[in-house]
Amino acid sequence: MNWTEILNFSRGPLLHVAMIIFIAGLSYRLVRVLLLGWERDKAKNKGSKFWGAIVNYLKGLVVLPFIPWVRRTFRHNELTFIAGGLFHLSLFVILAFGTAHIMVWKSLCGFSWKGLPTPILAFFSATGIISMVILLLNRLTQPVLKLLTRFPVWINWLVVFLPMITGFIMARHLWFKYEVIFSLHLISVSLLLIWIPFGRISHFLFYFFSKTIHGAQAGKRAVTP
Amino acid sequence: MKSQKTQSAINTYLKETGGWVASQLEACTRCGICAEACHFYQALGNPEYAPVWKLEPLRRAYEQRFTVAGKFKLALGLDKKLADSDLEHWSKIVYEACTVCNKCAHVCPMGIQLGPLIHAVRAGMAAAGLVPADLAEATEKQKTIGSPLGVTDELWRERIDWITDEWEAEIPVDKVGAESLVVFTSIELMKFPDNLAAIAKILNKAGESWTVSSTGREVVNFGYFEADEELTRLFMHRVFKAAEELGVKRIIISECGHAYDAFRWAAPNLMKVPKGVEIVHISEYIHHLWKTGRLKLKEGAFDGETITFHDSCKIQRRGGIIKQPRELLRQLAPKSFVEMTPNKEQSLCCGGGGGVISIKEADANRYAVFEMKMAQLQEIQAKAVCMVCSNCRLQFVDSVGHFNLPIKVHGLAELVSKALI
Repeated sequence: MNWTEILNFSRGPLLHVAMIIFIAGLSYRLVRVLLLGWERDKAKNKGSKFWGAIVNYLKGLVVLPFIPWVRRTFRHNELTFIAGGLFHLSLFVILAFGTAHIMVWKSLCGFSWKGLPTPILAFFSATGIISMVILLLNRLTQPVLKLLTRFPVWINWLVVFLPMITGFIMARHLWFKYEVIFSLHLISVSLLLIWIPFGRISHFLFYFFSKTIHGAQAGKRAVTP
Repeated sequence: MKSQKTQSAINTYLKETGGWVASQLEACTRCGICAEACHFYQALGNPEYAPVWKLEPLRRAYEQRFTVAGKFKLALGLDKKLADSDLEHWSKIVYEACTVCNKCAHVCPMGIQLGPLIHAVRAGMAAAGLVPADLAEATEKQKTIGSPLGVTDELWRERIDWITDEWEAEIPVDKVGAESLVVFTSIELMKFPDNLAAIAKILNKAGESWTVSSTGREVVNFGYFEADEELTRLFMHRVFKAAEELGVKRIIISECGHAYDAFRWAAPNLMKVPKGVEIVHISEYIHHLWKTGRLKLKEGAFDGETITFHDSCKIQRRGGIIKQPRELLRQLAPKSFVEMTPNKEQSLCCGGGGGVISIKEADANRYAVFEMKMAQLQEIQAKAVCMVCSNCRLQFVDSVGHFNLPIKVHGLAELVSKALI
């Protein structure tokens, strides 16, 4: 098998299988949770659940990840908090506005949009990678994280890091031949997609539950989430 | 080893695990940021006090029963089944190093409701009979005698009579047809009678038609501290039954945070509650009486020494009564009222709530937390602090004594009553 064949395999059957596992696995987990049943909260509202949820999303998406000082709570661990926020921001920027990724979106949904200039993309991909390294070091040294971290967490880290680093190398045309690095990128992406339903990277799916619940609970009690 | 009691804990966890619990356990990324919010972790540095770690028994029970990943992890030896020793270990963590103040939920990037989930962990402990001895003893007293402090019917009557005489505050007992039923805590009755008398004076001054009940006389709910659902219901049922018998329109919860949380937010989901009876906290009711002109308060009555307000987790952060006590304080001490930071929803807990103060073995924990509170007080050079929860007040009075601080501790009602015109 030469690299051209490997590339054909990884962007063909492998990626398709990975996507099927990704979608089927996450759907299963979602349905599993939904089927556990939901009881209606019968306590009378003091404020608006709806507004609580809206405020919570706005705060969570816009304000807090980048301004940890707002709550004066994160004074012991600001770097982790900012690294976490920047990691997610970088990931979304690259996935949504990376020129190559836009082509993938076009093939999936039929329309496309304008990508960001290369230097900006380079900045965000580097930021994402650096943030991940900081988060790794933090996880290796913080006592609470050491206690919480089990083997699957390292897999989570690795399967996210590999597509990022291979994507970075490919976009900058460094060191490797195109077929080689593109294959490695696609294999690592497939690995990520296959792993997501089994680990905690799936939090993006349940984020909408917990975030809505917290906002609604705060709104119901007339407090700011 | 797993005995029958561990099995009852696991059964409780599985019963508690609806979509509401499951979706939040699934959302957790194990980022550990919640530890930043926990006053017990911040004060003592024990990583096991991180709120997310307190959920371990619930998480394990849930994952191993309901998720493929959980079953895999078990098969590969990456996770362990819950054993007796685990529950005993976590019992100390969830009862002695958590006030269920839910600040962690406010810092969690995912918004996971750690407080209510820790309450669920406690429920399993209660089912397994693994409640700390002191807490269990107080609960037993509430069950059999009617008060966690062991106040008997006779003693209750004597104290009410004594307070009536001593403070010249009329306290109507079992008055059928009154509009409001006021339910006090044993803490107020035995330790802060001044606060009880103050509330009586305020209500009398406002011309409120109110009463206390000799059968529904305890508002504190030690079943709720333990998270024993049956006892939680029983203790609230006593009050609801009294309210129905007296035909009142509202139940006024006196200065107790957990009680307000139980009656206002938990009761409708746990039991049948009397129709048309509203639940209000005394601080919001006093504010209402003042705003509607039924009370007149002398402006600046407490101006002089710096006074601050301590936010209670269940009344402010989880109860939404944030602006009312502040507006009252701005009337009472417009020049001397200063806020601590952080405050309101982000406030730092006193360290004694959630039953912690009733557990002797947790004394070191709560004093350590109070040192953080002390730093907050000293930062603004407060000479007095005021609050609307007797449990907080007990922790403050005890800790101020322990650390020998020159700070006066007040209940809000007590200040209001002294400023009545």
